[in-house]
Amino acid sequence: MTRYLVRKLITLIVLLFLVSITVFSVLFVLPGDPAEIILGMNATPETLANLRAELGLDRSFIVQYANWIGSLLTGRGSMSITYDVPVFDLILSRLAVTGPLAIFAICFAVVISLPLGIYAARHQNQPGDVIVMFFTQLGLATPEFWLGILLILLFAVKWGLFSAGGFPGWSVSFWGSAKALLLPSFALGVIRASILTRLTRSSMLEVLREDYVRTAWAKGLRERTVVYVHALKNALIPVVTILGLQVGQLMAGAIIIENVYYLPGLGRLVFQAIGQRDLPVVREIVLFMAAAVIFVNFIVDLTYAVLDPRVRLT
Amino acid sequence: MKKLLFILIALTFFLPVEAISAGNPVKGGNLVVAQPAEPPGLDPTANTAAAIDRVVWANVFETLIKVDDQGQILPGLAKEWNISTDGKVYTFSLRAGVKYHNGEPFNAQVAKWNLERAMGPKTVNPHPEYFRVIESIQTPAENTLKITLKDVDALFLVHMAEGDASMLPINGYKDAKSHPIGTGPFKFAKWVRGDRVELTRFDGYWNPELPYLDKVTFRFISDASAQTAALMAGDIDVIGWIGSPETALELAKDKRFKVLDGASTSDMILSTNNKAEPFNNLKVRQAMAHAIDRKMIIDLAMSGFGTPIGSHWSPAAPYYADMTGTYPYDLEKAKKLLAEAGYPDGFEAVLQVPPKYAYTVRVGEVLVDQFSKVGIQLKMENIEWGQWIKRIFLNKEYQLTIIGHAEAWDIGIYANPKYYFQYDSQEFRDAYAKALKAPSEEEKAKWFGETQRIIARDAVNGFLISSPSLPVMKAEVMGWWKNYPTIALDCTKVWLKK
Repeated sequence: MTRYLVRKLITLIVLLFLVSITVFSVLFVLPGDPAEIILGMNATPETLANLRAELGLDRSFIVQYANWIGSLLTGRGSMSITYDVPVFDLILSRLAVTGPLAIFAICFAVVISLPLGIYAARHQNQPGDVIVMFFTQLGLATPEFWLGILLILLFAVKWGLFSAGGFPGWSVSFWGSAKALLLPSFALGVIRASILTRLTRSSMLEVLREDYVRTAWAKGLRERTVVYVHALKNALIPVVTILGLQVGQLMAGAIIIENVYYLPGLGRLVFQAIGQRDLPVVREIVLFMAAAVIFVNFIVDLTYAVLDPRVRLT
Repeated sequence: MKKLLFILIALTFFLPVEAISAGNPVKGGNLVVAQPAEPPGLDPTANTAAAIDRVVWANVFETLIKVDDQGQILPGLAKEWNISTDGKVYTFSLRAGVKYHNGEPFNAQVAKWNLERAMGPKTVNPHPEYFRVIESIQTPAENTLKITLKDVDALFLVHMAEGDASMLPINGYKDAKSHPIGTGPFKFAKWVRGDRVELTRFDGYWNPELPYLDKVTFRFISDASAQTAALMAGDIDVIGWIGSPETALELAKDKRFKVLDGASTSDMILSTNNKAEPFNNLKVRQAMAHAIDRKMIIDLAMSGFGTPIGSHWSPAAPYYADMTGTYPYDLEKAKKLLAEAGYPDGFEAVLQVPPKYAYTVRVGEVLVDQFSKVGIQLKMENIEWGQWIKRIFLNKEYQLTIIGHAEAWDIGIYANPKYYFQYDSQEFRDAYAKALKAPSEEEKAKWFGETQRIIARDAVNGFLISSPSLPVMKAEVMGWWKNYPTIALDCTKVWLKK
């Protein structure tokens, strides 16, 4: 286990280093620098030069990169050009939206998909299964933003139960904030649930055909024990893999849903930052996302070990 | 049921039309305004983004001169001014007792400091040239500001009424990007990044009658359908500048809302690289001008909103000269001119549009169709905004693009041969110089008219439409500007009908 952790940690550092070089170089050669965007259609060579000097963009690639890495290592990080606050603070405040949004969405997805998937597998090819499969097919074909807008039209515009979007902030109103995340996380969760339901079903069907399950039935165990104790654990391995990928994606921010519900999440931040060429923000978010994906994968690995004792983390 | 519906419909026809005058303004209330773009910082003197001016200018920051919704020049921080007979010396008497939100006083010294900062060598003001015409600034009395110009400048006053000339406090200016402090009717309260900016009533405002509102919140909602949904759900009161005109059409039918169809300063043009083949040929540009059907653009791309323009000047602005008749829509003439230019079968070209501004794509699609009728085959390509600035605007690597030029009084860009149109005309430069130095209103009208005529005649760009302002709001919102002669969303006199 220790060896495993050390190896993971080294991978993390090497990977983050590579990501930092890549993201820095890509943004460096990207046409349009922050000064050009800021001055826009009024840019003159003089004001451009002044602003570049003020933003430190007139220095060489190496110096700029070294400055950036230096600021990261000392824990200060850089300042956002457009927002004029430390990027760390910005990421933290956005995580306060994106994190709970992702967690709610995954909760919805799991709560919907596991029972449905198991149910469908237990009733393969019966009417119940057909109905579940029909709806998951529909869910897979539904674009997120469309479902998002539909929910707004119903719950906010028509019935007035929710606001159409926005986020008051946890410190302003805890319940208001939780409520603001309900519709968007439901929209995200339902669509992810479709994939997970199908996956749970097929994985379950496969496991239910295994010899050890037949043995369990033959021993005369109750259905509940066979399905939930013996079969489910093994059936969950592919589900956890996909779930991990989904969490990774959601932590990177659900740009489309964040736009529809105008939530101040990570996805919108990075989207806006690219448009504004707020390079410090883009760089540090990309780094953060890379770290988050690596971390989630690590959790998934740990979960494998719990679900299947044959998996050893070495 | 059907009968009931019929009665209801019949009744609506006979109901008296809602009176336009809405009575006396009432004080109090919160207003929530949706704005598509979040401002990149809140200092209008350090960044050109229109989103900054829309939030803070006229609300938090003020200028010496103000402009009202009819484009008329009014006293701002200067209560009056006079101009010497040679047109070079401006003496402003400033309002006495004006205080910044942080308690600092505003006076002639502060104004001088602001102007010198904008014209200084380290300026990051988007428009240092507005101020560099100044030769010297004197402050003979606490509230008297005497500015001597190097040369007569007909636009000096209007430039002093733009966001770039906002008056910041000497001590409190440093954090203007994140915590703006001004003299305006509202003071900055909070910026929840990614979500909203909150402004609250400034009780020490120099005009004790104003503002009417207690609080104004600007929410940043970029998605056009999300804006509409938020308005319909009651989360917001006003959409300052609606992204999709067809929604305005829908909302106008709903009695709970109203749509103001006013003018803006934004001239939407088909920018043309006058140095690139085949657009360096006047006949080609004239042929293209004849092939543009502005009425169709307005109907198809803008849901009927907008006004045709024939030159680079908003019909709502003073000194406007109507040039829409210069090259009327005429496909035969267009084809003939193309043949004379040596392109009897037309040609192929690339039209690059930045989807960040949705209208460029919509208008582009209509133009592609219109030009195909005379054999000009346009290939439309999307271009990201940062690349647009770099490749098209700065490097001039393009043939055609579409963009709205939002600034008022910006015809001077045609005098710069290095500007991205690459239009080089001594005749224009002479006329523009005369306009700037015109001693009287008649002369100004004459020479600004002449500048409009020259670029219309030379068909420098495809002059398309003046964009509509199109604010959409709840019916009880009163005093919102119908026309946008500046880029500010001025909430000073807005009030809510109870």
